[in-house]
Amino acid sequence: MALMALAVPAVVRGELVEGPLVEFGGRGETGFAVADPAAVVPRLGTRNLALSRELAALDLDDILDYLAELGARLVDNGHLDEAVEQSAGLADTPPGLVRSNYRLLPGLFTREATEEVVAAIGRDVLTGWPERRMADGRTGAVRAFGVRSAHIIAGNSPLIAAMTLVRTAVTRGEAVVKTPSNDPLTMVALARTMIDMAPGHPLTRAVSVAYWKGGDEALERRLYHPAAFDKIVAWGGMASVKHVTRYLGPGLELVTFDPKQSATVLGPEAFEPDALDDVARRLALDVGAFNQVGCVNARVVYAVCDTGAAQDLARRVHAELQALPPTVSTPAGRVDTELRARLRALRTSGFHTVVGGRADEGAVIVSHLDEPVDFAGSLAGRVANIVPVETAEDAARHLDAATQTVGVYPAALRHRLREVLPLVGVQRTVELGCAVSVHPALPQDGFEPARRLVRWVTDEHLPAGSDPLDIVFPPHREESP
Amino acid sequence: MSSQTATTEELFADDPLAWAGGDYRALHRLGQTELADLQLAALRRRFADLRGELVVLDAMVADTGVEAVETLGDVVPLLFSPEVYKSYPASLLRRKRFDVLTGWLGRLTTVDLSGAGAAAATSIDDWLADLDASTDLRVQHSSVTSGTMSFVPHTHTEVDAMFSVVGARVRGGGDPVPVVWPMIREGRSGIMRCADALAEHVAGGEAGVHAMHPGRMSADVMLLAGQIAAARARGEDVAADPGLLARREEFETLRRESEAAMPGFVERLADTLRGQRVYLMNTWNTLHQLASTGLDRDLHGLFAADSLIEPGGGTKGAHMPGDWQDRVLRFTGAERLQHIYAMTETTALHPMCGEGRYHLEPWTVAFVLDPATDEPLPRTGTQTGRGAFFDLLARTHWGGFRSEDLVTVAYEPCACGRSTPQVHDGIRRLKDVGDVDKINCAATDSAHRAALDHLSGGS
Ligand SMILES: [Zn+2]
Repeated sequence: MALMALAVPAVVRGELVEGPLVEFGGRGETGFAVADPAAVVPRLGTRNLALSRELAALDLDDILDYLAELGARLVDNGHLDEAVEQSAGLADTPPGLVRSNYRLLPGLFTREATEEVVAAIGRDVLTGWPERRMADGRTGAVRAFGVRSAHIIAGNSPLIAAMTLVRTAVTRGEAVVKTPSNDPLTMVALARTMIDMAPGHPLTRAVSVAYWKGGDEALERRLYHPAAFDKIVAWGGMASVKHVTRYLGPGLELVTFDPKQSATVLGPEAFEPDALDDVARRLALDVGAFNQVGCVNARVVYAVCDTGAAQDLARRVHAELQALPPTVSTPAGRVDTELRARLRALRTSGFHTVVGGRADEGAVIVSHLDEPVDFAGSLAGRVANIVPVETAEDAARHLDAATQTVGVYPAALRHRLREVLPLVGVQRTVELGCAVSVHPALPQDGFEPARRLVRWVTDEHLPAGSDPLDIVFPPHREESP
Repeated sequence: MSSQTATTEELFADDPLAWAGGDYRALHRLGQTELADLQLAALRRRFADLRGELVVLDAMVADTGVEAVETLGDVVPLLFSPEVYKSYPASLLRRKRFDVLTGWLGRLTTVDLSGAGAAAATSIDDWLADLDASTDLRVQHSSVTSGTMSFVPHTHTEVDAMFSVVGARVRGGGDPVPVVWPMIREGRSGIMRCADALAEHVAGGEAGVHAMHPGRMSADVMLLAGQIAAARARGEDVAADPGLLARREEFETLRRESEAAMPGFVERLADTLRGQRVYLMNTWNTLHQLASTGLDRDLHGLFAADSLIEPGGGTKGAHMPGDWQDRVLRFTGAERLQHIYAMTETTALHPMCGEGRYHLEPWTVAFVLDPATDEPLPRTGTQTGRGAFFDLLARTHWGGFRSEDLVTVAYEPCACGRSTPQVHDGIRRLKDVGDVDKINCAATDSAHRAALDHLSGGS
């Protein structure tokens, strides 16, 4: 009777592990089966100095060539095709949007794209020992070394898996990727493509992928320790972090991409007749692109306008949401009973107008008072909340360090807000309509991810003939004749 | 709707005990069809009476297109979610716009609120006290965990009808029974309101209520405490108004006093009620605290063996020690615990039978909804899903309510001899049942809750 569960292999240092399989619940009707974590995970918790040496010896241009070739192989890729099919019921978005996301993957691996990641770290520190003469006379040479990291990745966007791969390769690092139940597939498909392309290559062997149930203490206690990893990179904040904090200690650093919310601020110019159509279309894109599963998607929209103008905008945005290309955004495809009930309660409250949302096609809520709905943090499935405010600065009191992206219209307002919003914790302001497009070579969540994924090593020396005591205790210079 | 001219289904819904001729047992032994027919007739009557009178119900009808109720299941789209009772903007509380809040509340009840002097109120306590004094409303506010507070507009008359049933169940027509109340006496949350009704219907007056502490649990301070907890979890301070922050001191004092009061309370109980038959209804947690305090002082078997001990709490009582029930029995000396299932949104304490099932009081219609679609499951056999209910006692507000609980309901008669539908033990919050290994970079309420749990040392 029971359908055969979807089988998800693991990858250990560039080798496919297809069994034995153990079944997990997941969210789909059939669940999925993975290569037995009890057999796989213990193999991931050791360092391999020989591999580190091979990685360190790689020429940077060879690494970028490897990535470029990998990217080219992600077009019409059998493993990704299979992952699209298998994602139904597991992924946050319907298979069509998973496919759309996969079409963005090759772009992350082109020479142009990877050179930007290289530049973000510094080509010189990846290829040599650039020297700096310091004021005290010493010469300091700096180099970025690869590290061994465990990545607990988020599953709402397949781009996260690809970004992890690129950063690992460019830094000559080693990655163990723990996949989430909402995307156990993409990272495996990428690793399999690497194995097909360059079996035995150090970059191929630098990647391991496994699924196990996060928080399995018996497994994780033996995995997360300084003898195995330098860093743990955790996406999704507490959902993943709560399982690993107990293992942290000297020698094992935690890097977190915390869960974030994004917002929009519209100045009064947005409501001028010749701007309104463009604003509605751009806002719909910020809200609806890839079905609002990302932290970068707009949810609460602070607009300098009255309730009537907000209602008009809501109707336009709802219409524009329906008009988004199906490769970019679709109706939810899954009934969210909680959200429906909430929208219904708002319709009856007397304090809100709700445009749409009866058929899970997306909705726009207008708050009649100047505050977001109290479930603003749960807005999903293309649902936005327009909050009329008196001034754009009023929006700032609703934003904090949990705000990643703020889409702004018009540009002059963005220039004003970028000076003040960071003071309350906001990490990114962006032109309206571009919120969901995250650039992997720019800082994210307030830090520079690629620069955090290396060990910054220095090599220092004094000019020939110097007395080291001059450096250790500079007053010595005055005291000696 | 006077009882002289009431039809039988009206009487059944307005005053179930009178309908049953004072025989509580009979209410749980109606034939399945008879009960369903009575419920449907009463439900249709409620729908007809409240249409055009309740703004929120009319809005729901307009939204769902459900214009008529021909079967019990027809009402499912019209059941209110918990959000309905907190759909006001939270800033109204901050800005003390109780006049606007009264307007909002007026959409949820047919009780005339025009006489309420809400504009003068400067706190939730004042606002609710004024509603108590000037209308028949006895609004029950929620306990606050998230920074918002819900307000459910029950009336004194409705609560009275329910507690006359409790009174009959406890007293069996006999003398008043002392009520042991191991909490602060006064308050307007769902459970605190019970003390008033128990005084009237079980204890034979205030003198029969033995409360741990005579003070009042302030709604304002409860809300502030919830907001502070929520803000702390986000690493922020709450910008509460100074008047309220000053009252935080009052709350802390009350909390300290009431925590310290428990030992003295059990000693008083030993002096005044030893060997007597008592009524003791409270949450799992509070009952366990009471029992532990008593047992620590070597107090055992304090009350008569036929005392009625009614633990309620269902899902909110997670993390209880395995032997808590034994400890409550040892302390009280009662032969058994009479577990109950209760929700602020419905007027009933549904008692558990010897078979370990909560029997739904017959004026409560039970629905089980498919958690994925909210479609009602058949009202036959045994069904598991989202619990939803219609409280037929509610005649001034809409009794339809969609819970957040994952329940199993058996519609067939129980082995204990009662014929009413039963909720199985082991009720869980639906939110706790989902996939925990799904990781997303977008912050959600559940991520926030996970953080709260983690920071507070929970699971
Ligand atoms: Zn029974």
